[in-house]
Order: sequence, then structure tokens, then C-alpha cells
Amino acid sequence: MNKRTRYFVVGSVAIVTVGLCTGLVAFYNGGLTLMSSAQGPSELAYLPANATAVAYANVRDVMNSEFRQKLNQAIPTGEGRDEFLKETGIDIERDIDTVVASMSAAEKEAVVLVRGRFNEGQIESLLRQGTGDVEQYQGIRVVTGAPKVHAMLDGTNGQMPRDVANPGDQSMSVAFLETGLLAIGQTSAVKRAIDSKVSGQNVTTNGELMKYVNDIRSGQSAWAVGRLEAMKQQADIPEQVLQHMPAVQWVALTTHINGGVTGSIRADTLDDAAAENLRDVIRGGLAMGRLVSGQDQKFKLLLDSLQMSGTGKTVALTFSVSPEMIDVLAGLAQLSDMQPKPATTPKVQ
Amino acid sequence: MTVPATPPRQAPGLVSASVRVFELSLGEMLWSRRTIFMGLVVGLPVVLALVVRLFDLAGSTGVRVNNMAVDGPAVFGLIIWAFFLRFSIPVLGVFYGTSLIADEVEDKTITYLFSRPISRQAVLFGKYLAYMACTVLVVLPSIVLVWLLVIPMGGSLGGNFIDLVKDLAIVAIGLAVYGAVFAFIGAKFKRPLLIGLVFVFGWEQVVLALPGYMKQFSVAYYLQGLVPHAMPNDSFASMVQAIFRETPALGTSLVTMGLIEVVFLYFAARIVANREYVLEQ
Repeated sequence: MNKRTRYFVVGSVAIVTVGLCTGLVAFYNGGLTLMSSAQGPSELAYLPANATAVAYANVRDVMNSEFRQKLNQAIPTGEGRDEFLKETGIDIERDIDTVVASMSAAEKEAVVLVRGRFNEGQIESLLRQGTGDVEQYQGIRVVTGAPKVHAMLDGTNGQMPRDVANPGDQSMSVAFLETGLLAIGQTSAVKRAIDSKVSGQNVTTNGELMKYVNDIRSGQSAWAVGRLEAMKQQADIPEQVLQHMPAVQWVALTTHINGGVTGSIRADTLDDAAAENLRDVIRGGLAMGRLVSGQDQKFKLLLDSLQMSGTGKTVALTFSVSPEMIDVLAGLAQLSDMQPKPATTPKVQ
Repeated sequence: MTVPATPPRQAPGLVSASVRVFELSLGEMLWSRRTIFMGLVVGLPVVLALVVRLFDLAGSTGVRVNNMAVDGPAVFGLIIWAFFLRFSIPVLGVFYGTSLIADEVEDKTITYLFSRPISRQAVLFGKYLAYMACTVLVVLPSIVLVWLLVIPMGGSLGGNFIDLVKDLAIVAIGLAVYGAVFAFIGAKFKRPLLIGLVFVFGWEQVVLALPGYMKQFSVAYYLQGLVPHAMPNDSFASMVQAIFRETPALGTSLVTMGLIEVVFLYFAARIVANREYVLEQ
């Protein structure tokens, strides 16, 4: 073997070795800090380690996207945003950058962490209207609104409205975790979020959940990961129904919004057979959809954008709505609105 | 005073002879025009991956297939499936495998090789090992570079590491098996390159599309059983193949491919050992 050949062999082996070592380090560390942000958004430090589901949304990206502009043109909305602004003093379109949420099936509670620009005094005064309270918990200001049952009884002469079956006694709280970071949820959930950050026992220590989070979060506008198995166990589902539910352990959803919307739903099942059955169900569903869509072009366009993939225990369904597709869908919707409806002749008796 | 007789030198064994031939052939094979062509071919996906990554870093909308955005892992799977496994591996097997002995015959250097005190089978095995080293050293780094460039677009390196390892193993196995098959074709037939190309682009494509047992007489059928990525509908032929696709189990694929390699190498070695090579004047 001459020198040139030796150098070539060494160089090739070096490239493969470096690549494999890089992958190995990323595999064991759950991602590579050089390539993406370490361990996800910093808000994850506030989520409890036993969270059953975690979700994230980059509200800023979504609000600024071309897709949302087109959607607003097609379906103008504003009432929900105005209502939220009136109740909280927060303008969804301008004040919120990101939202991170977690749900714990065991404690049956959820907490939402909102990052953005807030008028803390205004929020506090809005919440304290009525019988709300302020306390310091672990050095963080927590504003607690009135418990739901009291809020319901206020102004009703002490009579519970007949349509309220179980008002519950949980109060809602808002905690000002850091400058520009709010935690919103049931008081116990908010306090648990504060404890998670202080103790360090948070969702980033949940290796199984973080593996899915790190797999899917890169470059996405919104994502959610949930352990469906745990949710099924904690939910009050009859055993007979539980037996017939698909053997799905984990579900992960991702969405990337720029000009259009692309997204995927990924399910990890118990075994390969369950995954194959799930794929068969989805294939059947897509075929049924195509069959019943008939001449409905909107439905047909959306169905055509669905693609199934995944191997082994993983089943993934991806979809894509391009900006052009939105234009077509909006055009089709307008066209169907413009078409004269058949006149109904009154029955003559 | 008698001088003790030096014991007669024994011919090297099969393994050491093969290694010697391997060392001799590796340099020749690596710096031939064929390898430069191979380097250009497997370098193409690296260049494409670099371009796609640069566009992604510049903030473009990313890769779209059938007007649908696909992320890095899907692009990587597509490149492995459509480019490497469906095209590069069989083509490299044809061009290199059929020429293991044929090149020596064409260059009229085979008599010099056979006049060495090594078995003829060692010549074949040594050249086969050189083919494996040559192709693996060029193709595998290309795959790793594509992986490093493409996966971070919407995917994670850690999450796709196992797929990389599987893909590298599948490519190496594919090169080994196709090399063995075409080494046999090269040793046996007069126009091995033509027969090899007909096998890869004719026979395998047809039998994979047809229902029934005929697909078991192809290498690609067993290679599919090893592929971790879902096969995309990249063409009408793939779609037809997908309709009739019956992917064999992993164990069946591995065992069968191992058998194919051993059997074809054995028969190739037998042909080389027993054949009288008449060089054209």
C-alpha cells in the first residue's frame, strides 16, 4: 500500500468515525447542543418531571406567518382576541412570544407558561378584582383569583346556577416567574411549576419524554408530546373500552408554519403488529375519505396532502397545506357561497 | 562438513495470499478511472445535500416533494433509498464486480498473477476484498456527510443515529452481495457488464413488480427487507412494486443474502480456478 492509498484510507475512515462519534454523542445526550438549543426552551425547567404531556407553540412565528395572514383574509376573527385582551390585558397578536404547557394525568392538572411582554400591574389588578389574593411562594409573586365556586356564587344570591353540575373548588393563579414569563393554571399546578424549577426535578430530567421532545422540536412552530398510555390509565375509562383502544404509547405532533402549514402526527405503539394494524386503519380511513369526498375538491386537496410513513413501532402521518392550497380552498369556499342555492318550494296542502 | 538443507519455501495459505493480492489490487483499483467516476457519482448527493442545507440556513421553505415539505430525516431516507440502494450500489457492483478478473484478462496481466505461487481462488478473493474496501471507503463517507448535512433540517442527529448505523450496514451488505453476484458473472460470462446491467435494470425491476415467487430470484428483494425507511412512491414502477410488495423478514433477508454471497463467491472461485484463460493476441 503506497502513501497516497494509505492517506485515502485514513481519511475515509476518519470521516466515518467522526460522523459515527458525533451521532453517538447526540444519541446519548438526547441531541447535540452545537446544532440546536440545549434541552429545548428554558421554560421546560418549570414543568414537573412527571408531566404526561408537554406542548410548545411559537406564537410570534404563527402570528407573523403568511399562512395566518391568508387565513385571516379567508376567515376573519377578532372576537376571541378582544375578549382575552379585556380579561387579561394581554394582546395575543403582539404581547405573546411563546407558550409552553404541560399536563399531568396523575394530578389531573395543567399549567401554561407564557413568555412575552406583559403589564404585570394591570394583570394583577384584573385578577384581584373580586376576592383574589396575592402571596409570595418561594420568592415568586403568585396572584390567585377567586375559586370557581365562589366566582359562580358571587352575584347569584348564594344560589348555584342549575346548569353547573360540579363547580369544583380549584382556584386559578398567575405567577410572575421571571420578567416576561407568566405561569397560568390551577394554584397547585402553578406552585408545582415553581417547585420544579427550584428543586431541579423538572421535565428535563424525564429522559423518556425528553427523547421525544428533542426528536421533534427542532425548527417547528408548535409541537406536543404526550404519553397516551399514562393518560388512558389515569382517565376514568371503563375497562371494556380501554381494552379496545389502540395500543399507542406515545403521540407526538409537530407543525411548522411559514407560508403554508406542514405538520405530522407520530404514534409509537407497543409492538410492530400494533403499528401495522394502526397503519391499516389509517390507510382505510384515507381510502374511505377519498371515496366519500366525491366531487368535493377542498376535501380532496386536503386528503391528497396526507402521507403516511414510519417503520417498526412508529406510525407517522404528515400533512401539508401550501399557501397556494389556501388560496384554492378560499376560492372554492367563495365559489360555493356564490352558487345559488336551489329554491325550496313550499308544500301545498 | 555438510550444509543443512534449507526447507523448501511453502506457498502462502489462502488467507495470506488473498491479503497480498488485496494489498496489491487496492491501490490499482482506488486510483483507476472507474473510482474517479464512482467518486463523482457518490459525491453528487453530498453536493446536493450541501446546497439544500445552505438554502435551509438562508431561510428558504425547505425541500418539497409533490408540493409537500419534507424534513431532513425524510430527505435522507429518500437519498438512501432512491440514490444509493436503487442505483449506486447495484451499479458499483456491476462495474467493479464484473471487472475483477475481466480487467486482468483484458490487460493481459492475468498470466503473471496465475504464475505466482498462490492459488487462483486467492486472486479472486483478494480482488473481491479490494473491491469491498474501495467501494466502502468511498460510499460510506459520502453517506455520513449527507447525514450530517441533511438530518439537522427538522430532525435530530441523536434521534436518527440508529437509522444511520442501519443504513451504513445495509449499504455495506448490498455492496458485498452485489459484488459477489457480479464477480461470478464476470468470471463466467463473456460480456459480463452487459449481463450485469440487464440484471440490475431489467430483471430485478420486472420481478419486483410481478406478484408471486419470482422476486425471490433478485438481490433487491432481500435488500428491501433490511431497509428501515418506508419506501416512497418515487415512480410508477415503485408504486407498482409497492402494490405487490411482500417484504421478507429481517432474519430471512440476512440469512439469504449471506448465502447468496457465499454461494456466488464459491462458484466464482471455482470457475477462476478451473478455467483456461486464452488471451487474445
